[in-house]
Amino acid sequence: MKPKEGLLLRELDGTAIVVATGAAISEFSGLITLNQTGTFLWRRLEQGATEEELIAALLAEYEISEEIARKDVQAFVARAKDAGLLED
Amino acid sequence: MPKYRIAELNVEMAPKHPTLLRQGEPYLYDFSGEADVVVDFSEEFYAQKLKEHPELTPDLCEYLWMGFGFYRKLVQYDGLMLHASALAYQGRAYLFSAPCGTGKSTHTSLWRKTFGEDVVILNDDKPALRQIEGVYHAFGTPFSGKTDQNVNIGVPLGGICILERSKENWIKRVQGKDVIFPLMHQTLRPPDAQNMDRLLANLDQLLRTVPIYRMGCNISEDAARLACETMQGGLE
Repeated sequence: MKPKEGLLLRELDGTAIVVATGAAISEFSGLITLNQTGTFLWRRLEQGATEEELIAALLAEYEISEEIARKDVQAFVARAKDAGLLED
Repeated sequence: MPKYRIAELNVEMAPKHPTLLRQGEPYLYDFSGEADVVVDFSEEFYAQKLKEHPELTPDLCEYLWMGFGFYRKLVQYDGLMLHASALAYQGRAYLFSAPCGTGKSTHTSLWRKTFGEDVVILNDDKPALRQIEGVYHAFGTPFSGKTDQNVNIGVPLGGICILERSKENWIKRVQGKDVIFPLMHQTLRPPDAQNMDRLLANLDQLLRTVPIYRMGCNISEDAARLACETMQGGLE
């Protein structure tokens, strides 16, 4: 899984945002903000991480149970997919 | 090509239709050397735009797209366009931004009613914002939307207010998401990554140096007084 080509994660006055450029504009003309965990996961998605790899990365970074990590990752990926931000 | 100076940039463009010819007149300026910005579209380009937007006249079509052509370049000169009604009062510019139909112009005209002729409407719809020697200024431009209210001056920016309609008047300082969403929706977003990064860098600097407010307002003079007192008070 990867963010679609042309989606940029940037920081604006301390807030992480994702905006579309290039071909991605036709599918996503909006703007999203990411919290700290969202930014962390997005950076790994940029490397092409799978859902399992995202869960492992969360577990390595934060003191949380696998159950919570799995739930968080699934929710994040589902929302990003719904918004048309990801490609396989 | 005719030469203009807009927002302290040397601009070349050759309008053919009355609206921009008239509104551009105060900005005519005979510079020497190369232009910073050249706004030039082909006849085919305008014909295509008129086909896509049959509600436009050729006059309005030229006015709009030459404006976009100019504003697209602003991000390369430490600036950006903001969809807002901009006024100047006592040496500072105050901008009121909102989606169409909210009452931006109504609010700035309230300032004129309340504080008189010391209030100057810089640009009623699309002021140019630029950092000049590190300080954000708001500039009048020939491109001022449906009204012809604009003057050819630049004034240090004192604050930006995001307006919404409300029965009661209220105003508060905002930051983070509450600022980023409305401002990103009321500016021109470049389609390519390089210029998008420029826009975001310029916006970042704007958010760090200029106080931003959110205001609910009605159409009483109290609304203008509240905005003025708060935004003047927000200056250091």
